[in-house]
Amino acid sequence: MATFGVGSRLGYVDTNPDRSAGLVAAVAAGIPWAVICGGAASELLGFGTVLAIVAGLLTGCLVSAATAFSREDIGSTVPLGALSIVTGLVFLTSVLGPEWVWSLGWEQPASLTAEFVIPIGTLLNAMFAGWAASKAYGGFGARGRHVGAYVLVYLNALSIVAFLFVLVAFTVVRGVPGLLNGAEFGLGVGPATTIELAGFGFTFVWPFSVPFVMNGVALLNDFQGVLPAIVGTIWLVVGAVLFAVPLGIGAAIFLTEYAEQGPFTQAVEIATNGLWSTPSIVFGLFGFAFLIPRFGNSKSLLAGMLTLGFMLLPLVLITSREAMISVPDEYRDASAALGVSKWQTIRSVVLPAALPGVVTGVILGVGRIAGETAPILLTMAGGTFVPGSQTADVIGGFGFVASPPFVTNPELLQATSALPYQLFALITAGVGLGDNVANPDEFRWATALVLLVVVLSFYAVGIATRYYFRRKLSYE
Amino acid sequence: MSFIPDFVRGSRSGLREAVDHRARRARDFVDETEPEALAVVTIVSLSLIAALVGFLLVSALTVVPISAFLVAVTYGWIRHQEVTARILTLTTTVSTLLILGLIIVFIFIESVPVIRYESATVFGVTVPGLRMFVETRWDAVSDPVRFSMVPMIHGTVMVTLIATAVAAPLGVSAALFLSEIAPPSVREIVKPGVEILAGIPSIVYGFIGFTILSPWASSQFRLTGQGTYLFVGVVVGLMALPTVVSVAEDALSSVPESIKSGSLAVGTTDWQTMTSITLPAAFSGVSAAVLLGVGRAIGETMAATVMLKGVPRLTDPLYNAFYGQETLTSIIARNYGDADGLQMDALFVAGVILFVTVLFISIGSQYVEWRMKRQFGGEV
Repeated sequence: MATFGVGSRLGYVDTNPDRSAGLVAAVAAGIPWAVICGGAASELLGFGTVLAIVAGLLTGCLVSAATAFSREDIGSTVPLGALSIVTGLVFLTSVLGPEWVWSLGWEQPASLTAEFVIPIGTLLNAMFAGWAASKAYGGFGARGRHVGAYVLVYLNALSIVAFLFVLVAFTVVRGVPGLLNGAEFGLGVGPATTIELAGFGFTFVWPFSVPFVMNGVALLNDFQGVLPAIVGTIWLVVGAVLFAVPLGIGAAIFLTEYAEQGPFTQAVEIATNGLWSTPSIVFGLFGFAFLIPRFGNSKSLLAGMLTLGFMLLPLVLITSREAMISVPDEYRDASAALGVSKWQTIRSVVLPAALPGVVTGVILGVGRIAGETAPILLTMAGGTFVPGSQTADVIGGFGFVASPPFVTNPELLQATSALPYQLFALITAGVGLGDNVANPDEFRWATALVLLVVVLSFYAVGIATRYYFRRKLSYE
Repeated sequence: MSFIPDFVRGSRSGLREAVDHRARRARDFVDETEPEALAVVTIVSLSLIAALVGFLLVSALTVVPISAFLVAVTYGWIRHQEVTARILTLTTTVSTLLILGLIIVFIFIESVPVIRYESATVFGVTVPGLRMFVETRWDAVSDPVRFSMVPMIHGTVMVTLIATAVAAPLGVSAALFLSEIAPPSVREIVKPGVEILAGIPSIVYGFIGFTILSPWASSQFRLTGQGTYLFVGVVVGLMALPTVVSVAEDALSSVPESIKSGSLAVGTTDWQTMTSITLPAAFSGVSAAVLLGVGRAIGETMAATVMLKGVPRLTDPLYNAFYGQETLTSIIARNYGDADGLQMDALFVAGVILFVTVLFISIGSQYVEWRMKRQFGGEV
């Protein structure tokens, strides 16, 4: 690569370089050289820290200046090429061998080891070399910088997607053994479910049995599972949606359709955005201080639902408001021209038109709160291992009493587990899990997998809904 | 000198005008509405206020105004749908504001005792809560019991700095990719990918960090014990990344196409257009995106809780990012269980600091975005 640069300078290769490589390239070339020379001065030559820093800075500035003041083909290739050569030589000649350790000499000890420095160094070198090479490929000048920058930007986007893929794949690979522990497939192996319709009992047997998601934890179980946590998560989400969606949509209607744009709407907007960025743990603290004393002084499912509802509210409000604003005014005018009242216009014109946006927003918001741990930690958390008998049965739990508040539901006022909390409890419980579960590590990964599947399926549904509506709209 | 009284008079008359305007509108509303509907509206509002008061006072009788409210709303919905719908939507709007207000009031009230306990005297003046910020000792058990916030603030600052260093460049570059560079087909893959990245629960990140990254880091860097700010910062940065990407992308694509085409027509490359036209034009939007990312990073709880040591102290030396002690968020999540009395209140102080910081960041970024909208002239 450096050869290419020199060749271009001497006129052997046809390129069109600028007068200078520019500030960005100068800084980019200067920093690694400064680090290398500073490190070398303090480690190999035994200079003190101050002297090493001075040496490093000096070299860095020199290299920067050399980069900036030479013609671009030299400036952007030679320093970086030389960098690669030097690093390669350092690694190959075992100046920096596998045994190399640099103790930083701090009060809390920390050292840089070769196992860390060599891969990182190689990676950075490869990036620098790739950047310079693509600049050279583009023939330097504006075109060359364009190519060089595009390579880096593409690389970045690619690595984000790759990161996502690796993360999910890793969790799946580690989680599947625990999830399928004792799973059976085939006719008649699953638990029986009875549905009663108008007096007729109809029983069917699931064609599969996955104990991990169908069992709780009990002493006599062959395989332990997380059913109560799954049910708890579902009820949490249902409660939060029931609370937040009417409030959010109502407020969005008022703000877009009724209110005059002025200080009041602005204040609400600032408040919603503030709520949106409020840390989840603060919602948890609020639920702890505000809701728990009002619902029987103990952690409860209801408190968890409302806390998550508070978190969901700004998301629903913001997305539905955006959806309503984007409904063209012609629709409203046309409806108003027919002589119908404002509310009828809203109900039969604005809301249906805004529905796709609202639905997508709600689903994506639900995906976010379903995975939240911090708020329910303080308001709802149950035990680490929850017996199957504690699976929440909210609908069956309603009862009526003669004294105020007349309606009771012990299920709502009990602590229940939820998937994210259960995972947190499993992590913090540490090694003491062995008595309950045969293979605690497998159990944890399987819990993480189930949580990931639940949350990502919300996202998949949300994104699919958006595509469906978009396609429908563009074909009409 | 005459400017100030003028200004005051001006704002005062403006205020009076606004009040007059409101009053006139209210009178109009009363005149125009049928008496029966008006009665419904009154009952609805009164019962709601009564329900709120009952709920705040932890009264079991709260159910009475709530049922009155439900009955009134049902009746109103059948007879006077127009007015009822309007009043209901207004109620929902007010309750949104109310929730924010309640959050502020309650977390502040809970934190008062410890602020009083941690008073310090400077030059003979007793400043409540000052000792939390000048000492560095957090010890809830042994004497002297102290609840200093300094170690946690230090931890949060370290994590946020590292996270920003990760999220800002990667996020802005990914946003550039999505809004300017990517062909549509690639965009359709990368954009949902970024959204899904936002959806991965923080506890899953924390779990992977706890089981894989932390042990690896402690053997790599020859650390005593597990937990480093460095890796917590990297993980939190990855979690803040989607926020930065989506907000920055909105900002970049709101730069009018005509400006970009004008630049391209002069013969620049796409990249030159991006660096010298699009990015500067969208600069305020992009910085709002980074700010929001910082806000997310500050508030991130679970990954920090499971990956940090959980011992509130400053690292030594201060810039030693290889050790992770405690952040403002993680101390709440870790200690809420066995805390009571003053210690619980101290956790609320941590909550107040977080809330106020993030609120300011949010308002700041909104201001920046608002300025950008004005710059491009009204609706964008």
